[in-house]
Amino acid sequence: MTMQGERAAESSVERLLAGYRRLEDVPDELIGSDGAIRPVWTDLIGALADMETDELSARMARGDQYLRDAGVFYRHYGPQDTVERDWPLSHMPLLIDENEWNGIAEGLIQRADLLEQVVADLYGPNRLVADGHLPAPLVAGNKEWLRPLVGVTPRSGHFLHFLAFDIGRGPDGDWWVLGDRTQAPSGAGFALENRIATARIYSDIFSRLNVERLAGFFRDFRDTLLDLRQSDDSRVAILTPGLHNDTYFEHAYIARYLGFMLLEGEDLTVRDGRLMVRTVAGLSPVSVLLRRLDANWSDPLELNEASRLGTPGMVGAIRSGSVTMVNALGSGVLETRALLAFLPRISEALTGERLKLPNIATWWCGQSREREHVKANAARMTIGDAFATGLPFDLDELSVVGGAMSGEGKGAVEAWIDANATRLVGQEAVTLSTAPAFVDGMLVPRPMSLRLFLARTHDGWRIMPGGFARIGHSTDTPELAMQRGGSVADVWMVKSGPVDQDTMLTQPVAPFVRSQPGVLPSRSADNLFWLGRYVERSETMIRLTRAYHVRLAETAWPDAPLLSDLAGYLVLFGNEPDGSFTESIRTALDSASTSASNVRDRFSLDGWLALTDIDKTIHRIASTATPGDDLARGMGVLLRKLSGFSGLVHENMYRFTGWRFLSIGRALERAIAMTNLLARYADPAAPDGAFDLALEVGDSAMSHRRRYAVATNRETIIDLLAIDPLNPRSIVHQFDQLREHFGYLPGAERHRPTTELQRVMLKTHAALATHTAETLDTDALREVGADIAALSGELDRTYFR
Amino acid sequence: MLYDVTLKIGYDYPDMADVGRHLVRLMPADLPGEQRAIAGVMSVRPQPQERIDRIDFFGNRVTELFFDQPHESVVFEVQARVECLTPGPQFDMSPSLTGLADEIWAYRNVGPDSPHHFTGPSDRAPIDRRTTGYARSVIDAKASTLENVTAINRALHRDMRFDPDATTVDTPMLEAFERRHGVCQDFSHVMIACLRGIGVPAGYVSGFLRTIPPEGEERLEGADAMHAWVRAWCGSETGWVEFDPTNAVLAGEDHIVVARARDYSDVAPVKGVLRTAGAHSSSQAVDVVPVA
Repeated sequence: MTMQGERAAESSVERLLAGYRRLEDVPDELIGSDGAIRPVWTDLIGALADMETDELSARMARGDQYLRDAGVFYRHYGPQDTVERDWPLSHMPLLIDENEWNGIAEGLIQRADLLEQVVADLYGPNRLVADGHLPAPLVAGNKEWLRPLVGVTPRSGHFLHFLAFDIGRGPDGDWWVLGDRTQAPSGAGFALENRIATARIYSDIFSRLNVERLAGFFRDFRDTLLDLRQSDDSRVAILTPGLHNDTYFEHAYIARYLGFMLLEGEDLTVRDGRLMVRTVAGLSPVSVLLRRLDANWSDPLELNEASRLGTPGMVGAIRSGSVTMVNALGSGVLETRALLAFLPRISEALTGERLKLPNIATWWCGQSREREHVKANAARMTIGDAFATGLPFDLDELSVVGGAMSGEGKGAVEAWIDANATRLVGQEAVTLSTAPAFVDGMLVPRPMSLRLFLARTHDGWRIMPGGFARIGHSTDTPELAMQRGGSVADVWMVKSGPVDQDTMLTQPVAPFVRSQPGVLPSRSADNLFWLGRYVERSETMIRLTRAYHVRLAETAWPDAPLLSDLAGYLVLFGNEPDGSFTESIRTALDSASTSASNVRDRFSLDGWLALTDIDKTIHRIASTATPGDDLARGMGVLLRKLSGFSGLVHENMYRFTGWRFLSIGRALERAIAMTNLLARYADPAAPDGAFDLALEVGDSAMSHRRRYAVATNRETIIDLLAIDPLNPRSIVHQFDQLREHFGYLPGAERHRPTTELQRVMLKTHAALATHTAETLDTDALREVGADIAALSGELDRTYFR
Repeated sequence: MLYDVTLKIGYDYPDMADVGRHLVRLMPADLPGEQRAIAGVMSVRPQPQERIDRIDFFGNRVTELFFDQPHESVVFEVQARVECLTPGPQFDMSPSLTGLADEIWAYRNVGPDSPHHFTGPSDRAPIDRRTTGYARSVIDAKASTLENVTAINRALHRDMRFDPDATTVDTPMLEAFERRHGVCQDFSHVMIACLRGIGVPAGYVSGFLRTIPPEGEERLEGADAMHAWVRAWCGSETGWVEFDPTNAVLAGEDHIVVARARDYSDVAPVKGVLRTAGAHSSSQAVDVVPVA
């Protein structure tokens, strides 16, 4: 550092880097071999050094808060259980200067073009095998080489449209490719979230430095996908394995960000060679799929027949040229570890050029000379599955780090290699460069690798000017994998001059002008419907539970007839007898969360947060509150939170078809709950106090006092809670709502019944309307209940199948 | 030899089958130099909404069908006339097993007939130390590949019991092997596993058998339903040779090929994805009659 006269600044930098010791023989991203800070980092480090400890931790908290609020998580697969983990953001970004970046980009673009040529050959003429550049067993014995796709040329003319690469800097300071992600690369969405969180932490510094923005890349990619469609009336969609995938959050995020539908295999069907999405308005064509589902699972008819995630006939639709897969089914074959051993020579054979970025040195043990080399150098190698598609540091069950086996003697390793030769590759053990990470408030060097993304656009391959860096949690390179506790940092590509200020950060969807008209997949409609039902059900359960605990608190006699009857009623909904009666609330809320997760791409962040908050509250209350007054008050808190959620959803949500289904769910559930409540507590034989209970649970006590000059009796209750159309809690009011909503659904007309659903509704409505408070007795109420069940069945047949 | 083949396969779904897409491989193959498909027609009831005929990766005829209405049953009926050409005399030009490994390595091709598809484990024919151990106990290291395959073909016929009631279509190969019983599908998968275990590329053949044997000859097992046998790659000179372990014979003029691939999963006569709640039952009737 040569800043004149800035002794104070210099010493604060020294303080910041007091714990930063470059590892021996390992390049470091922050500190050059001369011991000085590399120029690209100077501004950031200077700004950090000037910050008080408190400020720095406040900034980091801001970034973490953003990720929590956005609900960013990934699924962690443990030996015993699977849990959702917070996204492990490393608070220190990784900086790369423009020149270095351009070198990387050039190398990766060359590699992307080469990979396209290789995959086209593997599914086409197979010259690489015939000419001896690639051993036949690596193709024929490869589970990712999909025979049903052999000879099928992609409609777009290309197999590859979106790629990710993992690269790392080796001991000599050069970048190496560690692995090619060609099947269904993940992480681009996480890179976006990382960027937003990191930009919150360093807002002022970020805007001062010339960090290239990401939005332009995504806009280009989105436009390219739209242009790959067969016709303007067909759609682009994102295909996900669903909620249980480790990166489902990201799928939903990217879908929302790019404005595409998020679909699962069962949402799709094939008709006459065309891929169609089942929507509430019938079948609608889809001609581009950005897939996050591995190819083998995509079609149980022609690929893995055990798959429940796929669409029968998908391969046929591709064969008939009606759909473009990003990337083409079968392109996963390029991820095969053993291929790294052959790519350098293939590059020279196909293009006459050497690889600009070498890949990690790899030897396939199926060849005798290479096998002997691996045997002789086993101690310095990672020896693993030749067909694996993971990264060198993602050790699979077959992998052995050479040094680790030395104890068993050289002979054991050699025998093992000989016995499994064609299945094994040896790879040079990787030592990667280190980058700064915060550990307990101090900067320390940690090994890192980069994941970078390339998209094929109209102007050829374009690199995302960013990505993410995996940072190891110890100094060992194999600890890089996120599943092993590593963390993830934003990557800043710092230009020497000013950058385009794309405004992706504040308005994620703003840069995208073109938008496809919405259609609602049947499965999403089904989930929204059930979300409406479960939220309403939890409200009913909360009101019943509160009514119980209020009475329990007031009475000296817990065995009073009404109280024990209510306890019996609560047990019917899955509650434990003699407890807090909160199990049914938890079940309903958990189910609501599951339904909401399934439509996360269509669900507002605020709605999601409100729901998460309610879920936390009930778990807290259930575990701490005591029966009686305590729980009664707890239920009051829950009710207020729930009405907040309902307000968000029902008042603030745009009136698109999905909102209709959500509202239909609520009205239907409310009608069912009220019918059951009245059948039990408006019955003449019900225990003393039952009528008031019905009014209270029906949230209509106040209306009753204003409306009727008499004391509660069976007729006033039935009148108010069943057949008064002005009471938003009454059964008939729900029917009015349902009629209105049904009139807006696809295929329906508002002023005359054109669907079977509308006709059933009309009959149900009429049947209730003919009743008076006197004739609507318990038996009649049960008939109404049966009618509502039939209505639900018809809804299912019409829109959810 | 000229044959008329008739086949009827029916599936009943007591609880109604919903929408379904199927792949069907029932038509005798046209194999230049081996077998001539002279005429053939397959009828399907109910009438499918879609029907696509094509050739799969391994060169087999496959028909894709789509039913978009609920149905209680599906019936496939095939009528075909086929000529089986007389195979020439088999001279043993095959290498030893060691020589075979070199010939496989030198084979730089991954086309449908390439031995490379048939060396490794497949879903229905995994490589297991038990089957491999059995095969090793039968073979002779000094013998040719063809001799060794013939020995395994005979040994399995000797050691395994044909029992149509002992296994189902989903019985794992190893279970049939451990109990030494099964039908043609089991015999074939066991033999494939044995051969792959000792380095001989091996595949699965589905097809038909002549129903009534020529006078004075024994009736072959497996003639009353679709049959299955094995093909083994015996070196670049000899190529593929077909063996019928259920009957301890070479597949010849009495064997009519429908499809060839790695194992049953690749060539299941009817493969499909149905939405049905309940179980289903099936029936099969085959008649293979020489044309005078």
